[in-house]
Amino acid sequence: MNSQKHLLIIDDDPDFVAGIRSILESANYLVDVAYNPKDGFEALQSKPYDMLLLDIMMGRGAEGVMVARKMRKDPKLRELPVLIITGIREQIAFLFPGGPVHPRFVEVDELVEKPVEPKLLLERVSALLQSAQAKKASPA
Amino acid sequence: MAERLSFSDEVSNLLYAAHGNPLTTCIQCGTCSGTCPVVPYMDHTPRRLIGMITAGLKEEVMASNTYWSCASCYHCNVRCPQGIDIAELMYALKRLSIWRAQHKEGLIGPVFSETFVKTIFKSGRSYEPVLATSYLFTFGVQEFLQEAQTATSLMLKGRLPVLPPRIKRLDNFGRMLRRIIPMGDAK
Amino acid sequence: MKEYAYYPGCSVEKMALSYHMSAMETTRALGIQLKELEDWNCCGTTAYFHVDQILSHALCARNLAIAEREKLDLVAVCAGCYKNLYFANAHLKNDPDLAEHVNVALSEDQLNFAGTIAVRHLIEVFIQDVGLEAIQAKVSHPLTGLHVAPYYGCQILRPRKDHEDVEQPRFFEDLLTAIGATAVEYPDRLRCCGSSLLLTSRPAALGMLRTLLQSAVDSGAAVIATACPLCQVNLECYQNQVNHEFGTDLSIPVLYFTQLVGLALGIPPDKLGIGKELVLPTPVLSSVGR
Repeated sequence: MNSQKHLLIIDDDPDFVAGIRSILESANYLVDVAYNPKDGFEALQSKPYDMLLLDIMMGRGAEGVMVARKMRKDPKLRELPVLIITGIREQIAFLFPGGPVHPRFVEVDELVEKPVEPKLLLERVSALLQSAQAKKASPA
Repeated sequence: MAERLSFSDEVSNLLYAAHGNPLTTCIQCGTCSGTCPVVPYMDHTPRRLIGMITAGLKEEVMASNTYWSCASCYHCNVRCPQGIDIAELMYALKRLSIWRAQHKEGLIGPVFSETFVKTIFKSGRSYEPVLATSYLFTFGVQEFLQEAQTATSLMLKGRLPVLPPRIKRLDNFGRMLRRIIPMGDAK
Repeated sequence: MKEYAYYPGCSVEKMALSYHMSAMETTRALGIQLKELEDWNCCGTTAYFHVDQILSHALCARNLAIAEREKLDLVAVCAGCYKNLYFANAHLKNDPDLAEHVNVALSEDQLNFAGTIAVRHLIEVFIQDVGLEAIQAKVSHPLTGLHVAPYYGCQILRPRKDHEDVEQPRFFEDLLTAIGATAVEYPDRLRCCGSSLLLTSRPAALGMLRTLLQSAVDSGAAVIATACPLCQVNLECYQNQVNHEFGTDLSIPVLYFTQLVGLALGIPPDKLGIGKELVLPTPVLSSVGR
């Protein structure tokens, strides 16, 4: 069986997507992209992914939060590792006077802020995939 | 590797939840531009802006004052023969320009909207004097004096508030909004 | 007595206090009761659409959920608040994912949106629920001979909600006729006054305002009637600035429909907030012999 990991990116910024896609592909990941939350959720339901890379500000607003929350209620998607990659603190800086995104208000595995260093991105992706695998091997 | 996304697609993704028909159904009839009361003050008419989006002229579109000039009067919307939600397009471009910091320089609109949103986050209700000070500095002396005169007249008639209004359950309200925008510093 | 939850909106708290006063007085006289929505918050105006529409829906949903708890339809007096609350209600009802998401937020304030009430504008309540005949029957001081320009503005009519006539509405004219006034015909009655641009694109707003005011004056109107505090403030309080900018000599009073109805019902002018204007409504008062 092919051990290549299959990742989904949901992000509306074509420039950013082009960048991380090539980083991930050069590290031998198989990458699909959805440019809006609706297509993204449909993709998640159409085939199994190993991980989701999720933006926050899309479409009407902070829709990434909505996608993450909806996934956590879906038995099939609940265990899928989610890495939020967001520029929200810069995008609506006037609401974030020095304060970071608050983990209490967004239920995801990990969050990194744009712009993201290629090395850091690959480290985070691989760590999350490993811990998901470990969890699957020995369910708590 | 897949093709890079066009600007036209980028805009339709932004509008994925809108209720109107896709921009690609626009027949360039110009009913929107003929209806719009703000056209004389826009860099490009709404019809032209839609054409420019379809043509992929991202920089020119984002740098124009057209979408920030939209008064949200929805007159174009009710007349568009193709059922395109043009006002929603203008909102979407405003959002995109704030999120990506790509709007034309010197516009008051984005600053005003940001200040307004911040004010409601803090108090739950709007308060004219706070909003006023955030934009007045951008006016010329003449406009400033006229605005101050109007404000003084209103104050004398008891029509401007002295203290900012607040809702009662402000803590709950703050946590509520942070469930939508997950910002820190919540109690 | 029919009861409604009443959403005043931020501008009514001070800038448009006379709208609030006249709404309370006239509804009481017409046998309906407005109960102010408990701890209401700002509807978000268009500014929230520019940043995050979901936040805007959440702001409206809190107000809707409080009205639902009271089991009362929600009546707004500001056209902008009305439009926002109406469409938030409609979108949340049609989009269960969105409603569920917003409800997670609302639970922080022990509230829940279920979509069980309707959102109305006060002028709609006057015309549809009270009825023109019932209003006419209560008129004791008809505004005979007073020429009024009914200004519909934008958001009461637009975007289209379901069945209403967005191109040739007559309800405002009919209401004015019912209280004995003469509704003048003028071309710009549905055209935007530019109030949302006043702070952000001032030349555009003043230009739009001039066109509109001139159109009303040229039609022979002695007063303009509005159903929105933002339109009222823009049309009335900025006439000086329009005159300064364009060398015009405009000076036409702008009153709320509730103030005109109140006068016709014989309510004293001071109880309707008359006297807080920058352009004094003298012709209106003399037409009812005050």
